[in-house]
Amino acid sequence: MTYRDRGGPLAGVRVLAVAKVWAGPYAAKLLAQLGAEIVKVESTSALDEMRAYGGVDIEHAPYFLSQNTEALSVRVDLKCEDGIAQLKKMIAVSDIVLDNLRPGALDKLGLSFEAMQAIKPDIIHVSIKMYGSEGPLGYQTGYAPSFAAIGGLTSLVGHEDRVPRGMNIRYGDTTAGAVAAFGAIAALHHRERTGEGQQVDLSAVEAISGLVGDSLFAFGLTGEPPVHRGNAHDELSPHGFFPTRDNGWISIACDGGGEWHALANELGAENLADDPQFATHEDRVANRAALEAELGKLTHTLDCAELACRLRARGVAAWPAASTVDLMSDDLFWSNETFRMVINGNGDARPVIGSSWRIEPGGAELERGAPMLGEHDDYVYRELLGLDEDEYEALKASGAIS
Amino acid sequence: MNALSGITIVETAERVCGEWAGRLLADFGAEVIKLERPGGSPTRRYGPHVDGKGAVFAYCNTNKKSVVVDLEGETGRDTLEKLLERADALIDDHDPQWCARVGLDPAALRERHLRLVHCQITPFGQQAPDDHHRAWPINVAAAGGWAWHTPSESDDADPPLMGAGRFMPDFESGLDAAIAIAASLLRQRRMGQGQCIDLSEVAVQISRADVVLGRVLAGDDEPSHSRRRYDMGGPGDVFACADGFVHLVMMTSAQWQGLKDIMGNPDWAEEFPQDWLEFHCTPDRVTSFRDQFRPWIALQKRNEVSKAAQAKGVPLVPGNSAEDLLANEQYRHRGYFQSLEGLAYPTAAYRMTASPVRLNRTAPAPDADRDEVFP
Repeated sequence: MTYRDRGGPLAGVRVLAVAKVWAGPYAAKLLAQLGAEIVKVESTSALDEMRAYGGVDIEHAPYFLSQNTEALSVRVDLKCEDGIAQLKKMIAVSDIVLDNLRPGALDKLGLSFEAMQAIKPDIIHVSIKMYGSEGPLGYQTGYAPSFAAIGGLTSLVGHEDRVPRGMNIRYGDTTAGAVAAFGAIAALHHRERTGEGQQVDLSAVEAISGLVGDSLFAFGLTGEPPVHRGNAHDELSPHGFFPTRDNGWISIACDGGGEWHALANELGAENLADDPQFATHEDRVANRAALEAELGKLTHTLDCAELACRLRARGVAAWPAASTVDLMSDDLFWSNETFRMVINGNGDARPVIGSSWRIEPGGAELERGAPMLGEHDDYVYRELLGLDEDEYEALKASGAIS
Repeated sequence: MNALSGITIVETAERVCGEWAGRLLADFGAEVIKLERPGGSPTRRYGPHVDGKGAVFAYCNTNKKSVVVDLEGETGRDTLEKLLERADALIDDHDPQWCARVGLDPAALRERHLRLVHCQITPFGQQAPDDHHRAWPINVAAAGGWAWHTPSESDDADPPLMGAGRFMPDFESGLDAAIAIAASLLRQRRMGQGQCIDLSEVAVQISRADVVLGRVLAGDDEPSHSRRRYDMGGPGDVFACADGFVHLVMMTSAQWQGLKDIMGNPDWAEEFPQDWLEFHCTPDRVTSFRDQFRPWIALQKRNEVSKAAQAKGVPLVPGNSAEDLLANEQYRHRGYFQSLEGLAYPTAAYRMTASPVRLNRTAPAPDADRDEVFP
């Protein structure tokens, strides 16, 4: 194979992804969705855990296949000198090295940022670590819910008067990956302007703090510690989730008295609209619990989606809380390519989650799904690195390519 | 000089999602000119307010310039046109009807400004039905699936949660908008041409679910109305301790051994097979573990026990508050908070060796920069 120009704003940018599990590969996925070429470094002896997670067949692993859209896979055994030598050659022809290995892992291979610069002076090294690559707590490691707890998110998500339990346990890796992708593109701009590469040393914990930055800033401003408050809102009322038929929940947010009255009318609750304890915005905020209880009595027998439509027709923002069935059965997400089909390296067609953006003209083609292990060995070793047949075969025989 | 120095961005956005995209780009040195309606941006209403200034506006609009322009009037639209002639990018987050009215319809705008990178942020994207173009962050969190599945192990009787604070989906949307805009600006540098970016806030939420929803989408896991479809299984959870809470994740026998060691190898732990996390992680065992772990962890202090756990390779970490983070030694070491006029601002999550993020100016008063923008 030769280089495939998929278009997209990052066409021509090559990312060497020494990245596993989730945050790193997600950053690579976003860059691929913008047209960058992703060369994913893998080996049989140190597989991406996602190839083993949820199954036994590494070419049909559900998580891996859901993730590595348009990534190219090259095998390199980083446990041997010959393998590391090949990785260095790959760095020499890349724009970005994306790494989310454990702190210090690349250094141990002789691939500190300085060493990478010696190979390619304008290289951009995007490093994703839980707490950053160095510093007093830089040695600590963890998973997404660890980032969320340390970064201050978990303590701000919970039902009132209960121990905060945070976002769903899966939340956090993708946010860190997205922040990494943004840093990578900023570094490309700097290089474009000055010719200079750099290291982008990301702390996943700080990426999570970016989701609660408004609360952190407000604390510095007022000295009042922020706390978890369910779905409370000081400026919108009512504002929350209300029960509907069959264990459904509808999100409703009203901005001002007009919308509040429209809501009450649509629910046939003129008595609530006229109730003095809910008369002004301040009243509705002060008596929030009573208001929510009254509304819940009215909504819990209604169909969630129908009610949401009726309320939106009255100018009240209302949507059902979507389950996986709801998400999958919404035609809008299929028609606008939020969900889209790709062809995996293993030959199967598979629906995957696409990008949050549509870019025109010149958006990136997204046609291929996750690669088979080593599917692009030929392309990388022959085309990119220019190895001749003897060298290539020798590396395979020695296990450096395995 | 910084990564985006020399780039001019016009921001007609009036919601937190668009303003956050603008701030992320301004932090890298782009000149972001914020157009405010007479009376100021609607986000100025969000509290808390100190000395008449709203905290949310102050946080989302550092490093920007403000001019007041009434886009509902012809003069205002002429002013916008003049600014767009010299702008590299435009960030907007209004509904399509409003855009058409004030001359910001993407197709029409593209005809007039071929070089412009135009990002339009809407709840469901431009193709969505008319009643989908106005949604608050709670609606976005609901429609995108995370609320339904939050917190983990939700009961049907508990309301879903939209996330932290009032704006969390907005920060995610602003981030994706900034990614797409920055990428498109790179192409503009190389090709001299602009693009239209149609960003869907709900699609951002769906994108963040990535593999978890992806495997359901592909039929590897059954779609359902279960509130627990995003859950991971296993004993990972929040646990109350002596001075707050900790979060524990455990997935391997090595981590189980590490935890047993720091607990002093209690007898109850011997009832669990050594490889229970990998091969025998039944709901009953998870419950039994939690019940017996709780009394022990309740007596521990979060930082001390976390440190001991880290030494054994166990991902047990402290739950931090805002106050903890301002004092956190790692955050201080990395300079996560930067100070402007004596106030601590959370900044970017990276240290960059060549083009670090710098906060230079506080959020502007309405129209504060008219003379600078229109000399």
